Amino acid sequence: MKPIYVAGAGMTKFGRADWSLIRLASEASRAALHHASLGEIPVDGVVVANMGAARVNKQTALGSALVDQLALYPAMAEAVENGPASGASAFKVGCQAIASGMADVVLVTGVERMRVVNGLEGTDFVASLSHPEVEYIYGVTLPSLAGMFARLVMDRFGVERRHLAMVAIKNHLNATKNPYAHIQQAVTMEGILTAPEAIVNNPPIAEPLHMFDCCPVSDGAAAVVLVSEEIMTKLGAPPIRVAGIGQATDTHAVHEREDPTDLKAVRLASERAFAMAGLRPADVNVAELHDAFTILEIAESEAAGFFGHGEGHLALERGETALDGRLPINPSGGLKAKGHPVGATGVAQLVELTWQLRGEAEGRQVKDAEVAYACNFGGFGNNVVATVLRREAR
Amino acid sequence: MSDKVVGGKCSACGAVSYPRRAVCPKCRNETFERIPIEGEGTVLTYTDVYALAIDYETRYLRLAIVELDSGQRATGQLLADDPKLGMRIQTTIGVVRKPGEKPITGLQFVPI
Repeated sequence: MKPIYVAGAGMTKFGRADWSLIRLASEASRAALHHASLGEIPVDGVVVANMGAARVNKQTALGSALVDQLALYPAMAEAVENGPASGASAFKVGCQAIASGMADVVLVTGVERMRVVNGLEGTDFVASLSHPEVEYIYGVTLPSLAGMFARLVMDRFGVERRHLAMVAIKNHLNATKNPYAHIQQAVTMEGILTAPEAIVNNPPIAEPLHMFDCCPVSDGAAAVVLVSEEIMTKLGAPPIRVAGIGQATDTHAVHEREDPTDLKAVRLASERAFAMAGLRPADVNVAELHDAFTILEIAESEAAGFFGHGEGHLALERGETALDGRLPINPSGGLKAKGHPVGATGVAQLVELTWQLRGEAEGRQVKDAEVAYACNFGGFGNNVVATVLRREAR
Repeated sequence: MSDKVVGGKCSACGAVSYPRRAVCPKCRNETFERIPIEGEGTVLTYTDVYALAIDYETRYLRLAIVELDSGQRATGQLLADDPKLGMRIQTTIGVVRKPGEKPITGLQFVPI
């Protein structure tokens, strides 16, 4: 397999967009292409990550649409849909094109514009990834699966609502240092949990999860430029190597999993990514986890191998995952505060990590970060892509 | 079994798939008998959903995953006023969703 590098990364501010779907994708793509400073080097392929445009925006064939907008013809182009893991899946497809020698430069752009529909329709669109016959018909939504997961994890491992609040507080604080974040506002334990008015500020969504345990619904786009080693040597930027990618699947219905508190697909995807990279979880300096719900950051930090099973909330409480901790998790603000435009999320995680490894993350920079890890969690854990990036010496 | 919720019992190894699927995950056999998903069991976990799915007009919806004494697990609606982890339930069939004119029936769990 040929080496793969991330040569450029860019994104739009997440939030509520006035731009069209393709304008969003185009702005993020242009930012990534400018960041890569390719000069006269042509783009050989374009992969767009998106989950809901066919339904929500009534638009399909997004790869062709983006090529046209950016005048990148005759580049190869397609769109990848893999639920909330569409972003990292598209990144993987781009990497495969470089690794096989089929392309030297691939643009990977994730985009979602889901605030054009109301909350009910948006929730229903995401809930359509659940099992149609044994989950969806009962009124199952993503928050409800997360609520049932959270209650079980909390009961078994002594995780309390205050731990969930700590994830929200940490990630909201990080997002105040990220100009691309949807919600750039700090929150406090009093405001969301302990004060009498907290129940008003932070109403229940799917007990035991409340509003501040759930990511916002966002529009946005993120893009990276992948290149071969031959191209990377021609560019001046620090070489960010795609050291490892792992992907794993699990049962569609959550109730069929042997141990429903074990995020098996996260565990297997991570083991595969680390094996490919020749690295261990202990080598990671910064991580972006898929905290669509606060409980998931805790559970993924264990399944990825950073902490023992049932110990993630203790590491969080000790401050190990804070921006100045031993392993900063979600310096971008995570899905919780940066936002979660579903198809863009997996790419946005890798944009943040590329900036971190290049030392370009400004107020939220993790000092001297060399190895980075991302977990993009699709379905409710039934399709997970883990990625390890590493800055190489020039 | 039209009024029942059914799983697939592998005709080679006896493992039950619910939902039903084309290939047995235990032994890769491809033939199954239909068996009802029903009986008594315990609540493994539950949630009260306030951000409701489309098609619901209640204030909240109580959903659960249960472990039936037969060994199968199932997701459904929990009709209990005072839910607790580990509480004993039995399955019934009721209307679980009304998208438009035609109601959908499925598993509901009532305390024993």
